[in-house]
Amino acid sequence: MKKSTRVLSGIALMAAMIALFALVYSKFGPKSDEGSKTYTLEVVDDTGSTASYSGRTDAESLSGIMDELVAEGNFTYDGSDSEYGLFISTVNGITADYDNDGAYWSIMVNGEYGQYGADSQPVSDGDDFELVYEKAQ
Amino acid sequence: MNLSMKKRSKHQIPGNDEYRADDSSMTVANGRPSGLAGVSSRKSCRNFGGFSILDIAELGMMTALLEAGKHALDFLPNVELVALLLIIFTLHFGLKTIAVALAFTAIETAFFGFQTWVIMYLYIWPALVIIVWLNRRKTSVWFFSILSGLYGLFFGAFCSIPYLFIGGINMAFTWWVAGIPYDIVHCIANFALCLALFKPLNHAMNYILKITSR
Repeated sequence: MKKSTRVLSGIALMAAMIALFALVYSKFGPKSDEGSKTYTLEVVDDTGSTASYSGRTDAESLSGIMDELVAEGNFTYDGSDSEYGLFISTVNGITADYDNDGAYWSIMVNGEYGQYGADSQPVSDGDDFELVYEKAQ
Repeated sequence: MNLSMKKRSKHQIPGNDEYRADDSSMTVANGRPSGLAGVSSRKSCRNFGGFSILDIAELGMMTALLEAGKHALDFLPNVELVALLLIIFTLHFGLKTIAVALAFTAIETAFFGFQTWVIMYLYIWPALVIIVWLNRRKTSVWFFSILSGLYGLFFGAFCSIPYLFIGGINMAFTWWVAGIPYDIVHCIANFALCLALFKPLNHAMNYILKITSR
């Protein structure tokens, strides 16, 4: 086989694998309903106090809801982009510093630990979200 | 020739077989006599657990380069030079690059703390070194660019292995699928970086080895 043919075959293989992976993502990846959806969001801080929010949204991800609440002025958060998506560090002025004391903000979705970061956590009608200040054991 | 081989075997130490493998791969890779003529004299350095003093100095330099390369591109998610540098190092230094990969993981752990990704790093970077070492006689920049791209594409899949044991196949699959967009970026970035930088880095490494072996 000529070298140019081998190179083209290799590039074609890589392109085919990318297409296959994209197909898998579109079929099995995080999905969101279109249109208006109801939600609740409860923030449990380091003292166990809670702040509750609810409403309707067209946001496709939890971070979209959080951004809407920030715009409404009664909610704040801060975070940074990481390899695995949005990493929430501060909610309503309370910072979880994992490096200092093992604290972090966990995301609960309908009573269970979320599988995604806030920016890729899909929002479905009736979802109940929680942001809980926790410490690693 | 026989005399030369006798001299080499006299200085041969456990775990240093890769030197000879590297010598041959360098000769093939460069299409000319290797700049590693001084390698046999490197073997005569005192050794500590299979590593000579020169080895340890080289491992330190390579680890420093990996760290610098990683942090230089930290602002671009999933765009990294680590894979490319490990490929280059493996082609020139063989399996002892595994020690560099482990040292790199140790330093990253010191920076960011022990989390699940540390377990991933402990096998995923040495795996790349072994894959490259098995293909060390290849000479094509395209081959290593495609290899680097595919490695980036499968990075998430490889990294999901610990989740098989933590939460079962569903958790591992969900974790892998959620990261596919990042893996695709990783694939394209690895391919492009390797295609652009493989030859210059290879030439630079040859030059460095040539002048330091005088």
